Amino acid sequence: MATVAPGVPTGPYHAVLDHIHPEPTSFIRKYIFSIDAKVIGIQYMITGAIFFVIAGMLAEIIRTQLLSPHGAIISAATYNSVYSMHGSAMVWFVVIPLLTGAFGNFVMPMQIGARDVAFPWLNLVAFWIFPVAGVILFSSFLIGAPDAGWTEYPPISLQGPPGTNLWCVAVFLIGISSTMTGINFLVTMYKMRAPGMTFTRMPLFVWAQFATTPLLFIATTALGAALAALFIERVFGVPFYDPKRGGSPVLWQHMFWFYSHPAVYIMIIPGFGIISEVLPTFARKPIFGYKMIAFSSVAISLLSFSVWAHHMFTSGMVPWLQLPFMIITMVIAIPTGVKIFSWMATLWGGSINWKTPALYAAGFLITFTYGGLTGFFLAAVPLDYHEHGTYFVVAHFHYVLYGGSIMSMFAGIYYWWPKMTGRMYNEKLGQLQFWVTFIAFNATFTPMHWLGLLGMPRRVATYDPQFQFWNQFATYSSYVMALATVLFFYILFDSFRNGKKAGPNPWGARTLEWMVSSPPPYYNFKKIPAVLAAPYDFGNPLPYLGLDAAPGATEATPTSVSHPVPTY
Amino acid sequence: MAVSVASHGHDAPHDDHGGHDDIIYNETRDMRLMGFVLFLVSDVVLFSSYIFAYIYLRNSIQPNWPPIVNGHQLPRLDTAFAAFNSVVLFGSGVTMHYALENWKHANKGRFNLFMFFTILLGLGFLGGQAYEYAHAQIGGWSGNIFGASFFTLTGMHGGHVAVGVGFLIALWIQAQRGVYTQSKFFGLTAGTLYWHFVDVIWVVLFFLFYLW
Amino acid sequence: MAQRVVKPKTNLGPGFWPVTAFIAVLSAVMVYLIESMPLPIGLIQAGAPADSIDALFRFLGAVAAVIFNIVVIYTVYFGIVFARPKGAPANTIGVQIHDAPVLEFWWTAIPTILVVILSIYSVKIWADLQNSQGDVLTIEAIGYQYGFQFRYPKLDKPIDEMHLQLNVPTTIHVTSRDVIHGFWIPELRMKADMVPGLINTIRVTPTVPGTYHIICSEFCGVAHSTMRHDVVIESQQNFAKWFARQGGSSGGGGGGTIPIAQGKVDLGQKLFGQKCSACHSVGPFDQKQVGPGLGKIFNDPAHPKLVNNDPVTPQNVAKIIQTGYQGDMGVMPSAQVNQLSNPDIANLVAYLASLSKK
Repeated sequence: MATVAPGVPTGPYHAVLDHIHPEPTSFIRKYIFSIDAKVIGIQYMITGAIFFVIAGMLAEIIRTQLLSPHGAIISAATYNSVYSMHGSAMVWFVVIPLLTGAFGNFVMPMQIGARDVAFPWLNLVAFWIFPVAGVILFSSFLIGAPDAGWTEYPPISLQGPPGTNLWCVAVFLIGISSTMTGINFLVTMYKMRAPGMTFTRMPLFVWAQFATTPLLFIATTALGAALAALFIERVFGVPFYDPKRGGSPVLWQHMFWFYSHPAVYIMIIPGFGIISEVLPTFARKPIFGYKMIAFSSVAISLLSFSVWAHHMFTSGMVPWLQLPFMIITMVIAIPTGVKIFSWMATLWGGSINWKTPALYAAGFLITFTYGGLTGFFLAAVPLDYHEHGTYFVVAHFHYVLYGGSIMSMFAGIYYWWPKMTGRMYNEKLGQLQFWVTFIAFNATFTPMHWLGLLGMPRRVATYDPQFQFWNQFATYSSYVMALATVLFFYILFDSFRNGKKAGPNPWGARTLEWMVSSPPPYYNFKKIPAVLAAPYDFGNPLPYLGLDAAPGATEATPTSVSHPVPTY
Repeated sequence: MAVSVASHGHDAPHDDHGGHDDIIYNETRDMRLMGFVLFLVSDVVLFSSYIFAYIYLRNSIQPNWPPIVNGHQLPRLDTAFAAFNSVVLFGSGVTMHYALENWKHANKGRFNLFMFFTILLGLGFLGGQAYEYAHAQIGGWSGNIFGASFFTLTGMHGGHVAVGVGFLIALWIQAQRGVYTQSKFFGLTAGTLYWHFVDVIWVVLFFLFYLW
Repeated sequence: MAQRVVKPKTNLGPGFWPVTAFIAVLSAVMVYLIESMPLPIGLIQAGAPADSIDALFRFLGAVAAVIFNIVVIYTVYFGIVFARPKGAPANTIGVQIHDAPVLEFWWTAIPTILVVILSIYSVKIWADLQNSQGDVLTIEAIGYQYGFQFRYPKLDKPIDEMHLQLNVPTTIHVTSRDVIHGFWIPELRMKADMVPGLINTIRVTPTVPGTYHIICSEFCGVAHSTMRHDVVIESQQNFAKWFARQGGSSGGGGGGTIPIAQGKVDLGQKLFGQKCSACHSVGPFDQKQVGPGLGKIFNDPAHPKLVNNDPVTPQNVAKIIQTGYQGDMGVMPSAQVNQLSNPDIANLVAYLASLSKK
């Protein structure tokens, strides 16, 4: 055990963390059925990337259909299935698994100085549900994919194609995976932090994952209930939602949105955590307002349970109930705004190393703020009466989901790529990829705001000819986004062939994952370090005791460098 | 998951080699207990969702309850029988409590006895539910919203009881095989918690369907 | 290695105040443009509440523009000015500041105040929308796959055209025959979901004549994209002329005798479950859902008349199923809307009669 200076808490879990299990030797146990959270994180990343590409191609089919007002690329029925599967795949099979399963698994245990998560076997099961559920989801195309949007409102969804049943099963299954991950992560962060790592010394990415976990295991179960009810109504005729049999369509909306609103926070809060890591590292100064950022994540997470009916303002809910939902939705803007300003203040006065992760983080500030502001337009009930069900909503959520979640994931992938693979990516290509993506994204989705306001509803395969110009503009811009995505994958593959070998800490960062080799050893840390302070004080020496030399490091071992310096 | 929790490697029935194994056991036990409690929390959400649905649907046809179908109002359920069945279930909760207490005090014989009665009463409850299902005249699972909510909610609960009986049998077998010691018996704690959870859910369901 | 701390030339950064001034000026210009644009949404305001909704939109737009300017321009400015200069050593660090309580207080307080103001304004507009401005005209709109039909007072049958009168406050009750549809008139900025089994309400007062659009705004099936309709807003005289034309027309379907004697109870029972049970129970009168219970309709001394004041007889019951009802007690879709043929009506009457005998 490391000797610890007097006054440094040794923490109650030193004994657990001292265990190093022997590394598995077979290929299958190392890379297929691994219980190593880092391997599982990479498995999530690969699987999520595959679904991202598939769902992205579905998006391009949508945009191509919309090139012409009476587009006939595909039938209306097929079109309805295409956007329904695009949305379902992106939400449940791309963004949520990537932000929680991929980034959470790979980064979080190292950042708290742990060797793995609390329940590694549960982690394995949770991962493997993911590709299986994805295959079930996409196999629905063979028998008639669901066609009523990712929200599948009854009664129309009761009449939907047979694939709707597979959709219910697939999403239910991946919900179980999410719930397992939420429980696993919460226990990990609560019980397995390194000695000395109090809550206020945790990295903000860990705070973000921590704030997300209640959403994962509380909200997701509510979706499971709704899906199971839809399934048994479709298959066994058990009446919950069909008004002709005493059921209520609005009941589905309550049950669905009670989960799906917190779900959108599952899809952004870990992204907030990524931004909170990238900005201080590249500005080489502390994150501004650490406590406010940490607590605001928790506040947003808790508040997110109480705003679901802002998706239902036009549904015929009891009118006075619209008011508390409207007001709490507006109130969530305040902690979110505080974060944005704190991140801007992190850039202020920095010595900014403008590498691709930092560019994406800055781009995030702009596009996520834009998306958050349009959310306010939707929160105001009288405005929502006009905007609900239109392309204004489509614009808003793509700004927060792409301009927020996906941009933060690009930042995270570029940031942690050297750590995961031991390779640097081509920085010039990365910057090019950023600019093309940023510009093409804005060009694709900005026009949708006024398309919606001017009268274009959503979920339409054809539209009024007056909207053609901006639809074409958006489509051609989306093709550029697709090219930028191809470039992104090229950059990643190219890094294996041509990328320089990365040392332990190419960015000069200060969180614990950068204190070990790239890629990290199986056991993360030979000896669990003790933590003396939060990681962001670039002016001070590293606040860790007992770090070992990282095996295989090509630079001076991290512990001999008390102030890490970026080498890229 | 129950079995893997109960027989995790750290629970291997060897004697404590000094304090180190104890520390490891206690730390991992705390984690497993927290994980199990969080699982029960998510299970509460599952039931709560359907309870919300039931209250919402029932409220939408106020003041008709039970609903009127084909000119006839459906009968209310048999409260007396369900009350008796509830006593059976709560009784099994009491016996489970004493089973665990006896284990903690190393009374293996009493432990076995109380476990036996817990499982027996659990099965008895399930039998009672089967009887209730066979005799309820509320139009079946897919007939109307009464059957939909009643059979779905109590069916889910019954499923949890059935899984729980399996869990308890597995725990009892593990206990016989010496997997648990007087100081290391997390599986039994988890089983007891689960069993009490199932009781608490039933209190709510009994109130919602038989008393309200 | 030695470290160098970046010391900006001014307290807040080189050029901070000019950039701030630029933000202020740009924001002022944008706010001015937003406030003075005749149509902030770019779409005609054909009546109330489009004007008040647009006013809220304008106000929120102005606030959002200012916030967006602040975020974008400062982010770009900080990004440029605080970039590590080319020659500076890699180990240069930034200003080691963790927080600034006064600044944080203000950037929390000001958004809070803005949220309070915006929510009060929104609640005010919302409240205006709830209060009927003295309904002069009440119409029903019924969505179905894939079109809209409308019921007007004093017209027996639903019609396929929607006309509104200038300056007449109008209440539109919307519902659906099958799945959820959306009833959206963009030029009036109002929308309500058409939910089967529910009746939702929107209130408008048209003020600009013209032909506008009713667009289905909630996915409803294969032809959702093409589910739209016209709504004509016209002067009261033109409306009266149009209305007179509707009253006399026999618009297809409906009419004809209803063969009550050939009604079949079992077919009627099935139809009742499909078409009527969303709103009517088969209990006694007082077991109301949307409409009264019909279980005792032919056998209820306490209620000898139908809602339209016709005495309860099989013929009158058949007639009211055929014409539907719209008035003080609510709205019941007509047979044409419900797609009930005359034999269907006869079957329903037979079923109701059989219930009343029990």
